[in-house]
Amino acid sequence: MNANDKRIRWVKEPALGMAGKSYLLLFVQGLATTLKHLVSRKKTVQSPEERHEIPDPIIYRGVHRLNRDEQGRVKCVACFLCATACPAHCIDIVAAESPWPDREKYPQSFTIDELRCIYCGLCEEACPVDAIELTSLYDLSGKSREEMIFDKQKLLSIYDQTKDAEPTRTERLKGEGGGGKAE
Amino acid sequence: MHDPHIILILTTLLGAVGLWLMLPRGTHRGRSVGIILTAVALGAGASQLPYLGDWLTESIFGVLAAVTVVSAAATIAFRNPVYCAIWFGLTLLGTAGLFLFAGAQFLAVATIVVYAGAILVTFLFVLMLAQPEGKAAYDRVSWEALLSAVLGMVFVGVLSMAIVGVFTAPREAKERPVAPPAAKELAENVLVPQHVAALGTELFGKHLIAVEVAGALLLAALVGAAVIVAQGKMEEKNERNAQQKRD
Amino acid sequence: MLLPLTLEALLKIALLIAGLMTAAAYFVLLERWIAAWVQDRLGPNRVGVPLTKIRLFGLGQPIADGVKFLFKAEFTPGHVDKFIYFLAPMSIFAAAILVFAVIPFGSALPPNIFPASWGVGEPIQLVAAPGIDVGMIYVFAVGSIAVYGVVLGGWASNNKYSFLGGLRSGAQLISYELPLGLGILGVVLASGSLRLETIISQQAQSGAWNCFLQPLGFLVFAVASFAEAGRLPFDLPEAEQELVGGYHTEYSGIKLMMYLVAEFLHMITASFLIAILFLGGWHFWGLTDGGGPDGNTVTWVVAVLRIIVLLAKVMAMILFFMVVRWSWPRFRYDQLMDIGWKVMIPWGLANLIAVAVWVEYGDRIAHSLGLPPLLCMGLCGFVILLLGWYVATKADPTLNDNRPRRRLISPDRHVEKIEV
Repeated sequence: MNANDKRIRWVKEPALGMAGKSYLLLFVQGLATTLKHLVSRKKTVQSPEERHEIPDPIIYRGVHRLNRDEQGRVKCVACFLCATACPAHCIDIVAAESPWPDREKYPQSFTIDELRCIYCGLCEEACPVDAIELTSLYDLSGKSREEMIFDKQKLLSIYDQTKDAEPTRTERLKGEGGGGKAE
Repeated sequence: MHDPHIILILTTLLGAVGLWLMLPRGTHRGRSVGIILTAVALGAGASQLPYLGDWLTESIFGVLAAVTVVSAAATIAFRNPVYCAIWFGLTLLGTAGLFLFAGAQFLAVATIVVYAGAILVTFLFVLMLAQPEGKAAYDRVSWEALLSAVLGMVFVGVLSMAIVGVFTAPREAKERPVAPPAAKELAENVLVPQHVAALGTELFGKHLIAVEVAGALLLAALVGAAVIVAQGKMEEKNERNAQQKRD
Repeated sequence: MLLPLTLEALLKIALLIAGLMTAAAYFVLLERWIAAWVQDRLGPNRVGVPLTKIRLFGLGQPIADGVKFLFKAEFTPGHVDKFIYFLAPMSIFAAAILVFAVIPFGSALPPNIFPASWGVGEPIQLVAAPGIDVGMIYVFAVGSIAVYGVVLGGWASNNKYSFLGGLRSGAQLISYELPLGLGILGVVLASGSLRLETIISQQAQSGAWNCFLQPLGFLVFAVASFAEAGRLPFDLPEAEQELVGGYHTEYSGIKLMMYLVAEFLHMITASFLIAILFLGGWHFWGLTDGGGPDGNTVTWVVAVLRIIVLLAKVMAMILFFMVVRWSWPRFRYDQLMDIGWKVMIPWGLANLIAVAVWVEYGDRIAHSLGLPPLLCMGLCGFVILLLGWYVATKADPTLNDNRPRRRLISPDRHVEKIEV
């Protein structure tokens, strides 16, 4: 395509008019906006004294947790769907034969590298039994890289911490009277 | 040894040889010898300067003069054109300092504004854009090194001798310089001779025609530049029109 | 006599340098605060007294910043031209400090600061170098040295972005020196002196600040000093989106700090000059009247008041600089040049001609109109401002048809025709 192509439509810039060309009005408008914001209420949250308010903890994508079922066992059935879905390859599962009669496999070890994780929530989407979920905890920190690789115990303990504030999806769906996935 | 002329002639000769050795001639041989010779020549020349009265004045003058002369020598001796320009800038600063030292405030400041602030920056632009590395042969070798060194030093020698002649002339003939008026008088009375206003009166009274002619010349150059630019634009426009017709 | 004078000069220099360095550090904090407030944030408010938990609204931040800069790794890239790379930040910093030699930071102090036996009878002028006749041109000259720091820094860095940034801002600084000079010339012509102290005392005597008498000159000077200080909307030298960091891309540590402090010093200089040349310096109606325009019979109260008034004006200008930064987008490079050469210079010339005519015929015009001369001059000034603005609006030289630049094909090449 060249510049003389008949199909090119040369679009004219909209005309500014006297007020625009004189710059004065625009200058005053710009300055007025700035001054308005200069004195307006500030939106800064002074962490850590103040906590950022998360509007809906259910849909927030923070640190992961591994849910337990009613008997306190890990809900995960080691199907590897989450590890397959994970774009960052941060989930590592070692499956073993399940000691319980109601399922075939269970995760012998389940680790998530929280430093590799991009918190996209695809694992949560992929899980057929709602075992892995993202909580609303957002300020995780550690002193070493190793410390940030969360194992099964740690992930289960996060469930214990957050289960009251954030019910699992299964519980929520039970409350609504439905069953299965809501999609 | 008491005749200053002999020392000055020797200084000139030494300086010419030293300067020639220092100039970029395409070879590094003899540069350090050149630097030593030039330094000796400068020292010898400086020893002939009259004492200025007290140590403070003397040392200020000495520093300023040394900066000016050394950086001027460096300006022609360096190979990288950008460095030459920077040394030249230092020369200008030294000259401005000497002017200020002599009480010519306006001249000092005008030197910086015109030469250091405008002309030299333009030089720098051209040097940086044209030859960023300064690697071209014609940039790295000076043109007629011997001739320029000798001519330059002879010029300096003749001037120094003339000045020494003034200094060694009988004291009675010399007019005492007028003491500068008090600051208060300067501030209130614009017509005190030392004031900048005096310079303005001189320029636009006695030398009005010269100033106007110089101004007209500069204006002509400016108009010429504008014409060249406008011509280029016109050609571009004609080309475009022709092309549009062809389509 | 020599001892107290030397002592006085040294004291003033020490005061100036200490004050300027502290001011530059705290203006960085202020800049960050205003940047935050304009964006509905709080800004730095944590660092207080070192080694304690006292916060003090974040007033300790400059100390932390300074320490951080000093202890940061100072990396010199291998491809730079070492000597000029070191020289450039020093030259811009030195030039930025040197300007303050002739800028008054008050009127005068009564002479009784020294013991009477020392015999200092004259009031102490609050300038580091009083009695420089060419003060205004000196400011101009030393200001023009700043171009070197920018151009040489960009060149020595041996980096495309730095080089482009250096050249671009070199061209900008040189271009805007002309309107700056024209703005100054109007004031100098009206007051008949190049000394900043005299320019202030004349405004104090008449009570009419130059911004009321020469509004067009004020506008030209203010815009040009924004451009000279490299502040938005003229901060092309370091337009991050285009040039990474501009001429100081390759600089780090203390050398980068020199550049940044020099930038703040330029802003302070510009504010001082605007306050002195156009806003009456230390003068404020009714507040600073005692003591005479030259400060010959000044008392302590008036002397302090004058310092406060001047510094308040400077502070207001700096706040304006900082607020404008967030109000207006950056000009494109061709617009910048168009504004400089096609709007500001003609305006400056118009103002200069108007002032020249007024100086020559003003009294007669005012007499024939039967108005007080100053009022008449102010009215003329505003008429010229409106006229100039109207002409610039009508002509609109910054409006560019940028089609010719899109020459994607050369005219002599065969053009393939595409049928529609």
